[in-house]
Amino acid sequence: MDIFDELEEATNYQLAHGDLPVWLAEPVLEVARNRDKYRDKEYLIELLLMQVREYDTYAEAGCCKWAFDWEDIKRSLKKLLEE
Amino acid sequence: MSAVYLDCNATTPLEPSVAEVVRRFMEKDYGNPASPVHDFGTFARMAVEKARGEVAEVVGARRDEVIFTSGATEANNLAILGLAAHGLATGRRHVIGTKIEHKAVLEPLEALTALGFEVDLLPVGSDGRVCVEELQAVLRPDTLLVTIMHVNNETGVIQPLAEIAAALEGHPAILHTDAAQGFGKDIFPLQSPRIELISISAHKIYGPKGVGALVARKRSGSPLPLRPLMFGGGQEQGLRPGTLPAPLIAGLGTAARLAGRNHLERNEMNRQFRARALAALAPLKPTVNGDPAYALPHAVNLALHGIPAARAIDALKDLVAVSSSSACTAGSTETSHVLAAMGVPRCTADCSIRLAWSHLTPEPDWAGVVALLQSIRTEFTHGG
Repeated sequence: MDIFDELEEATNYQLAHGDLPVWLAEPVLEVARNRDKYRDKEYLIELLLMQVREYDTYAEAGCCKWAFDWEDIKRSLKKLLEE
Repeated sequence: MSAVYLDCNATTPLEPSVAEVVRRFMEKDYGNPASPVHDFGTFARMAVEKARGEVAEVVGARRDEVIFTSGATEANNLAILGLAAHGLATGRRHVIGTKIEHKAVLEPLEALTALGFEVDLLPVGSDGRVCVEELQAVLRPDTLLVTIMHVNNETGVIQPLAEIAAALEGHPAILHTDAAQGFGKDIFPLQSPRIELISISAHKIYGPKGVGALVARKRSGSPLPLRPLMFGGGQEQGLRPGTLPAPLIAGLGTAARLAGRNHLERNEMNRQFRARALAALAPLKPTVNGDPAYALPHAVNLALHGIPAARAIDALKDLVAVSSSSACTAGSTETSHVLAAMGVPRCTADCSIRLAWSHLTPEPDWAGVVALLQSIRTEFTHGG
C-alpha cells in the first residue's frame, strides 16, 4: 500500500465514520486516484494524509489547535495544484 | 580516494530526501510557524505538526507529547532539570542514573546535586549493561526520576529498558531515557508507555544538526510536572520558547519517518557491514568492548592491543575517519568513563577505537587499514 492508497483509504474512512464532508472529500479522492500526476509531490501528499486522518470540523475551536479543519485541507489542495 | 566516514555515532550524513525537505523550508516555504496569519506561516505550521506526528509515531506517542528542542542535549536538560522544581516542592529529591551516561545527562545530574538532590549512579557489567537488580536496590519511595540511556554512544550496547520499565511498575518515579543513539534504530523498546521522557536527536538518524525533541508522555492524561528552563514565548506548550526552526524540524520529521519505515532494512545492511569489518580486522586480533549480543549492528568498540588509539586515528585519517573512546581535554587524554565503568583496564581503553557506519557507508580499503595498523603495532611493540 503506497501513500496514495493510504490517502484514499483514510478519506473513505473519514467520509463513512468521521465528519469529512463530501464536497471536501471529492477533491482529495481526485488527488489520491491520480498518482501519476502527483507522484513527485510526496511531501504534500503526506501532509494531506495527516490532515484527513485528523480532520475535525471544530479544529479551530478552543485554545489549542491539535486537529485540522476544512481550511487546512483546502490550503494543501491549493498548494498541490500550484506546484 | 577520500576517507570513508566511520564515525556515525558522532553524527550521520544527511539522507538526500531529508536534505530536499530542509532546503524547501529554507528557500521556498520560509514562513514562521508562529505566524499562521498567512499561507507562509500556516504552511510552516503544518510542516511542524507533520514532523511532530512523524516523531511521535516512531515511539508510539501522541503528537501533542513531542516538544521540539535544539537537540538531545537540550532535551536531556529539560527532562532532568525541568523536574527539579517539582522534586523540591514535593520532597522527592532522589534521582537514579548510570555511570555510562553521556555528559549531557551526567552534568545536569551534577547540577541537581548542587540543588540538594541525591543522585545514585548505577554501575554496569563488563558487557556494558546495567543490572536491573542494582536499580531495585537503590530505588526509594522518594525517587523522583530514573534516567537510563537507551544505547551507549561509545559501545553501541543497548540497555535493558523493558526490564527497567517493568521494575518500576507501581513506583511513581518518572523514567527518562537519552535515546540519542537508539531512536529510529532500535524501535520497539521506546514504545513502552512506561518510558515517559525520551530525548532524541535528528543528526543521529540522517537528519540535520541543531534539532531534536523531548517526548513527554502524559501520565493518566495529565502532563508531567516539567518546568521550562528558558523564558520568552509560549512555543512548545510553554516548555521551550523561541522561534521554531521549521526547516530543521521538517527534516527531523522526514528522517524519523524514514527510520520508522526502513530500520529493519538498514539494520540488516549494517549487520552485513559489521561482519565484513570484523572479518577484515581479524588479523589484528582485536577484542570487542561490550557484549556484541546486545549491541546495535552499526557500531563496534574495538581494543587494538598495542596500538594507541590516538596514533591509530591520526594514521588512518586518509583511509577511514574513526574516533576513540577517549575525550581529549586541554591536551591531556582522559580515559573513557564508559570503558572505565565497564572495568576495561586503562591500557586497553587507550588502545580502543570506535567504528560506526550506516546504510550509506561505502566499503573502506580494509586491507590498507590493517596494513597501517600492523605497522603501528610493530613500531610500538619494538620501540621503533
